[in-house]
Order: sequence, then structure tokens, then C-alpha cells
Amino acid sequence: MDSQIHKIHQQLADKKISCAALVQQKLTALKENTNNTVNSLLDDLALQLAVKVDAKIAKGESIGLLEGIPFGIKDVYMVQGTYTTASSNLLKNYKSAYTATAIQKLLDAGAIPIVKENCDSFGHGSSSENTIFGAVKNANNPDLVGGGSSGGSAVNVAKDYTVFSIGGDTGGSVRQPAGYNHVYGLKPTYGRISRYGLMAYASSTDCVGPIAKSVEDIRIVLNVMSGKDIKDQTTYASAEISKDSISNSEGIKTIGYFKNFIENDAIDSKIKADFLATIEKIKAKGIEVKELDFFKSDILVSTYYTLAMAETASNLSRLDGSNYGNRIEDKNLKESYAITRSENFSEETKRRIVGGNQVLSQGFSDEIYLKGLTLRDAISENFEKDFKEVDIILSPVTPGTPPKIGDSLKDPHAMYLSDAYTVGFSLGQLPTLTIPQGTETGLQITAAKNNDELVLKFANFLKDMI
Amino acid sequence: MSKIMTVDVLSSIKGAQPSEAVNKLFDVIKNAQPTNNNSFNNNRNNYVSLNDLRDDVVIESSTIEKQIIIENFPKEKGGYLVVSKVIEE
Repeated sequence: MDSQIHKIHQQLADKKISCAALVQQKLTALKENTNNTVNSLLDDLALQLAVKVDAKIAKGESIGLLEGIPFGIKDVYMVQGTYTTASSNLLKNYKSAYTATAIQKLLDAGAIPIVKENCDSFGHGSSSENTIFGAVKNANNPDLVGGGSSGGSAVNVAKDYTVFSIGGDTGGSVRQPAGYNHVYGLKPTYGRISRYGLMAYASSTDCVGPIAKSVEDIRIVLNVMSGKDIKDQTTYASAEISKDSISNSEGIKTIGYFKNFIENDAIDSKIKADFLATIEKIKAKGIEVKELDFFKSDILVSTYYTLAMAETASNLSRLDGSNYGNRIEDKNLKESYAITRSENFSEETKRRIVGGNQVLSQGFSDEIYLKGLTLRDAISENFEKDFKEVDIILSPVTPGTPPKIGDSLKDPHAMYLSDAYTVGFSLGQLPTLTIPQGTETGLQITAAKNNDELVLKFANFLKDMI
Repeated sequence: MSKIMTVDVLSSIKGAQPSEAVNKLFDVIKNAQPTNNNSFNNNRNNYVSLNDLRDDVVIESSTIEKQIIIENFPKEKGGYLVVSKVIEE
């Protein structure tokens, strides 16, 4: 899949299409779509911006690479004046008062936001069924889930309703739906892109992540959004990744994979066979492949969820209906808080808030929360050791293929376990990219912290090789 | 003064109970054997150095930002924004 951004840019610059017609075509496709990917359309704003781009082209002025390119935004990002619902009842009428830094940078580059996209409420889910806008249907088979939590974003890209979309990845929420819908999805190194204006789920692993149809488009969008931001003090300054620097696989001598991800009963037999076949192809290219030891999947999943629930219980405590949100009045303030939260949060969100408050309580915090933090450190240490031995870690994205719509809601524990291959890299704050190759749900490419460039480089190598 | 607060009170969610699906996750942590035991004694935490702290300045919100904040407020009466009745215990 080649760069959609370059292709459309050229068509606009050559006046082969008008920006207004392009945006209208995407808006119509989104409006008519039956995959439940849309929470709200940004018609007026998008068309106004498109007319300005057309006027510029008509005057003979040159346009930037992203100027006039229509994109989608997961409905957890603030965009001033637009509804930002987090797919929840509590915020169904909430309007953003300001714009997220990552989105502002795209707007400044001239990209045109056309849709706020369906997702699991507050990012709580792995299937995009936990939403008031209806379950997102998979781009390839509407009986299956779109994946989550950034399901609407991945389906929109897969269906060409958006050229790229901006998802959010806390434990796999960009990478897993990208895998389920056969597109690219990047979770950059934690801190590379500002989280300012992204509704907080678990602040220590929340990442802004682009979803697109090519490595090149991921590179372009990543470069625009990256950088230090005074409004998010966990951000750091990063160098731009050039097209040339990722065009060959020089410098990648050794890769590794986690033996226990592959040698277990939970993995689908076809995903396992396809993954191992890919490993053989890589070996045939003269790259050394090492088997690595890693923590058991249940430890990874439990560590991630323990910490994520603790953080979300804290982050979502502000949602009480006082200053904004769907307030339900009761006899006093405390009762108003309780009834507002009870009636407006989904079952999954309530489960996570309660879990988080459990582990933060006296008597439980030492035994569970603090031990979870210790385990996280051990996981990070393990990664540091591994990246002294290998340049890249390759893994499947999911143990299984997308479930049928309805199945995940019946068994939340099984849904948590389906995140087994994505959550570890979130805890390690590492750059990880899903590519739509290698297995039915793709492959994950991971490098050491701050080495997002190497991830894209290896993706280009695999694109031509598999 | 020791007062036991149940998870429904802590969470401000009526009738909230710990769930079996989540407890299964916690059991794994309880039984895990971490190799080290000094979680804060390393350099992996995301801290901000003292030299890098942002200035403590007041930034005036734009008119449109203020308008939207007021628009988002759940209840208004006679030009005032109304909160729920506060009781002291």
C-alpha cells in the first residue's frame, strides 16, 4: 500500500480533484456507512477549510503536504467547539473548550478533520462495543468486532473513509484494531507526542497514535505531531524521521521474539504457524533471530490492568456532573455525584473504577498496586536487557482472530486476556507498530525507547519481504 | 477516627461491588514473585527535572473557551450557574 497522502496531495496540486469535492465525498461515505464508525461529523468546519484550500490552489499558491487531507479523530480528543463524548452517556453533550496539541499541529499543517470517531467509552475496551453509538463493525466482516478501543478510527482508514485517523493507545487500543482491520497503527514512544487534550485513561501509558494505510503516511503524521509541549511535561524533543533514513534495513542485524508468546495453548494455530513462517523468511535474509524469555501473559495482563484501573479511577473521579456532563440532581451534592456516575458510566467503566479504588485502598495497595509497580519495573528491566541483544522484537498482535460482536461483552476476563501481546510494550513505554502482514491480525514491530525510526525502517523492510 | 469506606462510596457509584473478572487479575498479582523489590529505586519513572519546570503563569482563556465552559455547565438559573446542595456532615 503506497502513500495515500502523497497521492492525494499530487491530485489536489494538479487540480485533478477539488478539495471540497474530496471532503464531500468522504463525508457522504461516512454518513452512509453501516459500520457505526461515526459519533459526529464535522461537515461545516471541514467544508469551510476545504474551500480555503481550493482558493489557495486556484490562486496558484503551493500547498503543504497535509493541506486539504481529510482525517478522522477518535472521540476522546478535544477539538474546540466540537462534541467530545468519549462514547459515553456522561459526556454525550459535552463540547471541547480547547483543542488537543496533537490535533492542533495537524490543523496548523492544513489537514482537515472530518469526523469524531466511535470507540470504547473512555478507551475502556478491546472491541469498540462499550459505546453508546452502537458496536463498531469490522471493516472486513461486519459480524466481527472492529477491535478497540480505537475501532472506529481503524475501520474508517480500512474503508478509505478517512485518509488517516488519530487513535489513542493505552494498552493496545491503536495496534489491536489496526491488526483486526488490516491497516498500520503506531503507538509511539511514550512522551513523543503530547497528551494535552487527550481525555486521560491511564496517564502513565496513554499515547497518541496514528492509523494509516502505509508506513510513509504514518511517518508523515508522526513527524507533524511529535515534539516537546509545555502543556504535557512528560513530552520530549525528538528529531524528525526522514524518508531516506527508513528506506533500507541497514543496521538491523538481530531480531528477537518472545518464545512464550508463541509456545502456549492460547494462540490460534494459524497465527502461530504464520508467525513462525515469517521468522523463517527473515532468517533467510541473513538476519539473526533470537528466542527471548519474557513474563507470562497473565502477569503482563494483570500488571497492566491493575495499574490502568488505579489510574482511571483517579482520572475519572473528576466526572461527577458538577461543572460539566449529564448531571442528575439528587437530595445533596454527594448523592448527585453518585447517581450521576451510576447512571451515566457503562458497566465496563464502572468495573474498572471500582477495581482501581480496590487496589488503591488501605490493605490492598501494598499487596496489589505497589506490587504491580514493582512488576512493571521488572518488565522494563527485561526490555532493557533484551535490547542489548537484539535491535527489534517481533510479535503477533493478538493471540486470536477478531471475536463475533457480542462475545466480548459476555466475558470481560477473556477480553482482558486478549490484550496479552500488546500491554507489555505499553508498560515499557516502547514504540510499537502494527503492520497488516505476517498473520491474520498482523505483526507488531517494537524497538527500544525513543527509537521509533528503527520501527518504521523494519516495517519498510518487511513490506517488501513478506 | 477510623471509618471504613466501601468501594461504592469510594467510587461514588451506587451499589458498586468488586467483580469476579477483575479479582481474577488481582489474584495473579498477589501470587506473582517479582525479581526485585525496590520499585521507586530506579530511573524509569517519568519525572521532570527542577530546571525544566514550566513557569507558574496565569494564562487568560479566550472568549470562545469561556463561552463553551459556561455552555457545558449543567444548570443555569437567572444568570447564575447552579451546583447541587452541599450538606455538612
